[in-house]
Amino acid sequence: MKRITSQREFFFSQTLGKPIYDRNGKPVGRLRDIAVRWDNHYPRVTGIKFAKDVQKHIRIGQIEQWDERSIRLNVVFTDKLQHLTEEELYVGKWLLDKQIIDTKGSKLVRVNDIMLAWIESGTAHELILLAVDVGVRGLLRRIGMETLVKGQPQNLVDWKYIKPLESKMDNLRLTLEHPSLKDLHPADLADIIEDMDSISRTHLLAGLDRQTAIEALTEADLDTQVEIITDMDSTSASEMLADMPPDEAADILGELPEEKSSELLNLMDKDEAEDVRELMEYEENTAGALMTTEFISFPADTTAEDCINRLRELKPSTETIYYLYVIDHAEVLMGVVPLRDLIVAQPQTELGSIMRSRVATVRGDDDLRKVQETVTKYDLLALPVVDEQGVLLGIIRVDDVMETVFPDRGGLESFTDFMTHSKSWMRWKP
Amino acid sequence: MKTFKKFNLLLPSLILFLAIMGPGIITANVDNDAGGITTYSVAGASFGLKLLWIFIPMTLALIVVQEMCARMGAVTGKGLSDLIRERFGVKVIMFVMAALLLADLGNTVSEFAGVAASGEIFNISKYILVPIVAFLVWFIVIKGSYKMVERVFLVASALYLCYIPSAIMAKPNWGVVFKAMVVPSFSFSPVYLAMLIGLIGTTIAPWMQFYIQSAVVEKGITAKDYAYSRTDVIVGCFMTDIIAVFIVVACAATLFVHNIQIATAKDAAIALQPLAGRWAGLLFGFGLLNASVFSASILPLATSYYVCEALGFEAGIDKTWSEAPVFYWLYTSLVVIGAGLILIPNAPLIAIMLWSQVANGVLLPFILIFMLILINNKDIMGRFTNSRVFNAVSWATTAIMIALTLLLVVISVFPQLLA
Repeated sequence: MKRITSQREFFFSQTLGKPIYDRNGKPVGRLRDIAVRWDNHYPRVTGIKFAKDVQKHIRIGQIEQWDERSIRLNVVFTDKLQHLTEEELYVGKWLLDKQIIDTKGSKLVRVNDIMLAWIESGTAHELILLAVDVGVRGLLRRIGMETLVKGQPQNLVDWKYIKPLESKMDNLRLTLEHPSLKDLHPADLADIIEDMDSISRTHLLAGLDRQTAIEALTEADLDTQVEIITDMDSTSASEMLADMPPDEAADILGELPEEKSSELLNLMDKDEAEDVRELMEYEENTAGALMTTEFISFPADTTAEDCINRLRELKPSTETIYYLYVIDHAEVLMGVVPLRDLIVAQPQTELGSIMRSRVATVRGDDDLRKVQETVTKYDLLALPVVDEQGVLLGIIRVDDVMETVFPDRGGLESFTDFMTHSKSWMRWKP
Repeated sequence: MKTFKKFNLLLPSLILFLAIMGPGIITANVDNDAGGITTYSVAGASFGLKLLWIFIPMTLALIVVQEMCARMGAVTGKGLSDLIRERFGVKVIMFVMAALLLADLGNTVSEFAGVAASGEIFNISKYILVPIVAFLVWFIVIKGSYKMVERVFLVASALYLCYIPSAIMAKPNWGVVFKAMVVPSFSFSPVYLAMLIGLIGTTIAPWMQFYIQSAVVEKGITAKDYAYSRTDVIVGCFMTDIIAVFIVVACAATLFVHNIQIATAKDAAIALQPLAGRWAGLLFGFGLLNASVFSASILPLATSYYVCEALGFEAGIDKTWSEAPVFYWLYTSLVVIGAGLILIPNAPLIAIMLWSQVANGVLLPFILIFMLILINNKDIMGRFTNSRVFNAVSWATTAIMIALTLLLVVISVFPQLLA
């Protein structure tokens, strides 16, 4: 299992019936079915059935290479094989074509196809069932007519939302109301995207709605972001970047070749491009490089009522709503109003009278350490960045600071870790 | 004291039976649709009582087939299209569903043809009656709750009893009728054979197998209560055929003895008016309208269910239009096309019904073989697989049905062959 495949994700219908060769290139049979063991969220492939009416199967460990054309074994084929055990299931026989039923027991959709994926677990590679294709594309792929709906998005349900079968005849049951890849947390989606090759990524991103795709891309690590943007055509790439938080966009553009990044910037909306350009000027690991220019600010004479109405119109993202910054006509930072104070204030109160004027700030060229210390010391969810004159340039969100503290956030476990950590940050301390 | 005890034992069983009955009886009644009534009438008018003997073996065949479906539904909790898809895969189910869709579109057209025909009996133009009925049928299903729809159908099926007084008022010779029931009279004349096949084809149609199995699943009947469900199936099959027998008898006693030939049920109803008084004609008209409306509402709905469930689209009248768009569009299209074709002047109705008959015929052998494979699969049926005797009976039934439907298809496509 050392040299694994060119293809990391593939569909069951694409691999079914493909020829199997042993180490010497001798034909062994054709892939008739796949055996899995379902003792985790994602069922693991344990073996393949290679001929009709032969109940024994080839173990996954004996497979050297598995791609969409053929399967090659790393041994000379003998018929000393293992039988299916009690815990193993055949994918084609017992999972494919099953009805999927929601939490309330009403019939929903069908397993039209199954997406398999190679994943790394420790040093070993494992082949898992990643998702169920419940869409029209899966249906038509089965009868070899997927090209008819090439442009349509994929309709996949992540396997971890499916309850393990109690008996083989049972329908598959969902653990959530309407889970699909788009309902995954963007950070989980980002993890999946990070593990994929470029072709699968393009497929997956194309299947998501725009907002979800952007959120997932924002959550992905920088290398993945750069790879994805590089693979896209310039127009889509610039649109994608324009919709991302400016700091993330600046980071990505900073990694691209000079020529490419100025091409993309020129395609973007003028104001947005300007924001991103400014951010790109800061050196790496400074407050300026970390900050985003997305923040909420109001003049001091705004009433609490007007302010809340304006927030309703703006619908700002979660990260930015906790602090409302008060600025004067020259955009100099005068104070901050925490969201809580705004909500409990009388409607006609002016922001100037309830703001806190002692605000912890950093300068654009302050280093990372200073940023981390300030955020920790004052228990902040976002830290304002100002220039020499006190003009508010942007804010650094706590999650961006966290990423500098835990840079290796990779798997889902550390994500959970992150969530539990951030909970204490969420607790409001005025 | 003893009788009291017996009563105590009987009562819970009776209550249980009443709770479980329904699927078999509804299916059986939908089976006596406009096409069925037409065929039975023509059989009675053209051959008198000569074809009456077929009803006993046909009832047995119907019971054998329907019972297997009800049993599969109760044991697996899954519809027939589910089982076929899971066992035989996408390609097979797509073929089956395409044929079923074609066949049922044709069947729906003939239901609306029945509505139009009954309109002529009441002197209502089909251009008024058919759109109204189509809209009502569509509206009841889209807006009404499922429970209400089911109750409407159950009450409506009692109207079939209209055929019995209609036949009695025609005053047939009952001694001759009973003899014709049990003594087979076979003929190799092509017209006779065509009529025989037509009778069987209209009584044992593919959609019924899907329908009864889904109805059993829908009702939540399990293997434990299955014995009662079997009674329901048997009662339903007898009801279908008893009503069919009365139609044949009524037509034989009036039209056949006076040598009046008919082409459709409409002619049959008109011919009954002078012979058995004005009430017989009215009853026939009401019966035809009820049968047509009943089947016109169930068939498109049921067909949309199977197609959507089999192919994995959301389905069900408890879902909204946006949750199950394919289901609702399919249902609406079937009703609109089915009713619309009737309203086109000079529409090729005969050709449409002919091809739907062919689709039915092509489909039935496949369905029967799939059923027999499924019901003998221990993984699926556990200890409820067919017994050896039952298998012998059901394979024999299947073989005869296949031979007859193949013959039906052949003479539908090449009518000159037997002429």
